[in-house]
Amino acid sequence: MSARLHILKEALRTGVVTKKYPYEPVKVPEGFRGKPSIDVEKCIGCGACVNVCPPNALSAEIDLNKSVKRIILFLGKCIFCGRCQDACPTEAIKLTREFELSTLTTNDLYQVVELKMAKCEICGKPYATIRQVLFTAKSVPKDQRPLLLLCSECRSKVSAKYISYARW
Amino acid sequence: MHISTTKILDSLSKYGKIEKVHENTYFVEVSADKVREVSEILHWKLGGHFSVTVGSDERPINGYFKVYHVFLMDKQKLSIIVHVKVNPVVPKLPSITPIIPGANWHEREVHDFFGIFFEDHPNLERLILPYDWPKGVYPLRKDVSIRGLRSKLLKNNAESEGKRKAEEEGYIVPIGPYHPALHEPEYFELYVDGEKIVDAKYKGFHVHRGIEKVAEEKLTINQIPFIAERICGICGYTHNVAYCQAVENAAGIEVPLRAKYIRSILLEIERIHSHLLWFGVLFHLLGFDTGFMMTWLIREKIMDLAEVLTGNRKNYGLNLVGGVRRDINSEKIEFSLKTLNYVETKLRSVLDKMLKLKEVISRTKNIGLLNRNEAKKLSVVGPVARASGIDTDVRKHHPYAAYSEVEFKVPVYDEGDVYSRALVRYDEVFESINILKQLLKNIPKGNIMADEVKIPEYRKGLGLTEAPRGENVHLVITGRDNKIYRWRPRAPSYNNIPSTLIMLKGENLADAPAIIASIDPCFSCTDHLVIIDIKRNIKRRIRLKELARRRQC
Repeated sequence: MSARLHILKEALRTGVVTKKYPYEPVKVPEGFRGKPSIDVEKCIGCGACVNVCPPNALSAEIDLNKSVKRIILFLGKCIFCGRCQDACPTEAIKLTREFELSTLTTNDLYQVVELKMAKCEICGKPYATIRQVLFTAKSVPKDQRPLLLLCSECRSKVSAKYISYARW
Repeated sequence: MHISTTKILDSLSKYGKIEKVHENTYFVEVSADKVREVSEILHWKLGGHFSVTVGSDERPINGYFKVYHVFLMDKQKLSIIVHVKVNPVVPKLPSITPIIPGANWHEREVHDFFGIFFEDHPNLERLILPYDWPKGVYPLRKDVSIRGLRSKLLKNNAESEGKRKAEEEGYIVPIGPYHPALHEPEYFELYVDGEKIVDAKYKGFHVHRGIEKVAEEKLTINQIPFIAERICGICGYTHNVAYCQAVENAAGIEVPLRAKYIRSILLEIERIHSHLLWFGVLFHLLGFDTGFMMTWLIREKIMDLAEVLTGNRKNYGLNLVGGVRRDINSEKIEFSLKTLNYVETKLRSVLDKMLKLKEVISRTKNIGLLNRNEAKKLSVVGPVARASGIDTDVRKHHPYAAYSEVEFKVPVYDEGDVYSRALVRYDEVFESINILKQLLKNIPKGNIMADEVKIPEYRKGLGLTEAPRGENVHLVITGRDNKIYRWRPRAPSYNNIPSTLIMLKGENLADAPAIIASIDPCFSCTDHLVIIDIKRNIKRRIRLKELARRRQC
């Protein structure tokens, strides 16, 4: 009998614990992994996040006609693991503390970043976003920077030529 | 009686070549006619237990199918994997089920997925594949691609066996337990005589998602931990760790000690929340909803703790091959210790009293019996085995993560009833709090990710963890191009569910919910029961929750 009384006492002492969500907001701790969001100003469109995303919530597409690259984030697939945040070289994509994602239109779950692409100096094909070229230039020695203006195929042709000159 | 490691290896060496893959893990290649003999020696004579059977299509590598039987020797801290080459033209192998009944499901799964025929298997029917699956299509074979599979299934669907059978025998598939949208559609059929259960049947795997195939074909090595975490909705992190350990073992990657500590900390947090959830479910099924709400209220503190440490209540997403992704700072350690102290005192005052209630004891004591011999035959694991007198705990016997650095006891009870399963979990919750306190106090400084993570191709690795429900085994064969060649996760409930059929026989119908729940089979209220009255031959279908409620009045 005493066990039962003890439990009853404990239950009465605890009282009502149900929170009146959504009328009463729920606090989440620091470092909570919520909805990812891309900072359009910082994104260079390199696609590092696309490569690591486990559920393929992030994807990239290249529009050759408009010569733009799009990074597309679809929250409907997102598992909020934060791998994109780890991989991003410019801290453009970050997980926020927002978690209320229910919506009536699927379009609300998309974020699209559109970035202009640079065209190859030789063949004229769009090969990388302008921002990515500029970002890469920072870590490339000055004398080799002109090579960044070429697409990967033309670049390998040109550098092969340089190597053969060097041999002669 | 203690048998030394060398003696075991000596007795195995006459059957075939022994290859040490990583620490305490040996692969023994035997010929097909010796499989049964070796299995009998390992399971019944040398004190080990059968854990999992893994099939693998290695025709692109060496021209054969392979079957791996994994045995764990708890006393010697050894894992022995017996592997056999299977002829690709006539794939057949002697079954080990006549000797170890626990291998029943495992062999049927290999038969389903690879088309390997097991001779003398008592019941080599389909286990996982549905009835309308086309004949002769074995989904995990390497020459079957996901895309090809889809078109094959669409084409064959019209003339499928299942549909024809349904038309001939005139039954229709009920929505309910088979509906893929409901989570956990287990399906039990109970045959009753009045109130007594005479026999029971189980049909499962309605939501087998084929994630092994997806992982092998589409995902890269570091994407798989996240899908592994979603195998279970309650103890996902343990699968995540087991997978990472399997790959690390295969590649010989040394994980920094701090990362190991963090893994152990979260595994124990997961265990506490899972066990408290189980207590809540048990009390709820017994009609004791005060107990259900109070244990879940305390569990909420643990969920909050996980959220602070990892950024999410569940799905911690913390592991990669080689280490962990988030560090723990001193503030978080302090918060954890404070929460744990609170939880410990609360549990001591509440849970302790609840388990002493007359009603709880009378509904659980001497109910759902599973004796030691039956448990050994079916090779059950975790709390179910420990409540039946088998001392087995991967944390103790095959130490992984940081468990070799801490002191803890493994509770073992001999009664084998629902009550002792509750007591095992009760003791384990407090052991986990004890382990957590040690880990949090002694966590060393250092990196949380290995410096170099290189994964050579076609290496094998075994990853073991003690999930809240028991031993969890992942076998991995690494592949080319940052991919996994074969990955077989085996969750503990796979070994435990067959034991419910034994527990249910001869019990009262009213006790069925508690018995089924006592093995902690990731339980949900969507489960359905069919009750068949053998005298009046009436079939009724009701929800398990309703049964629990009805029997209270």
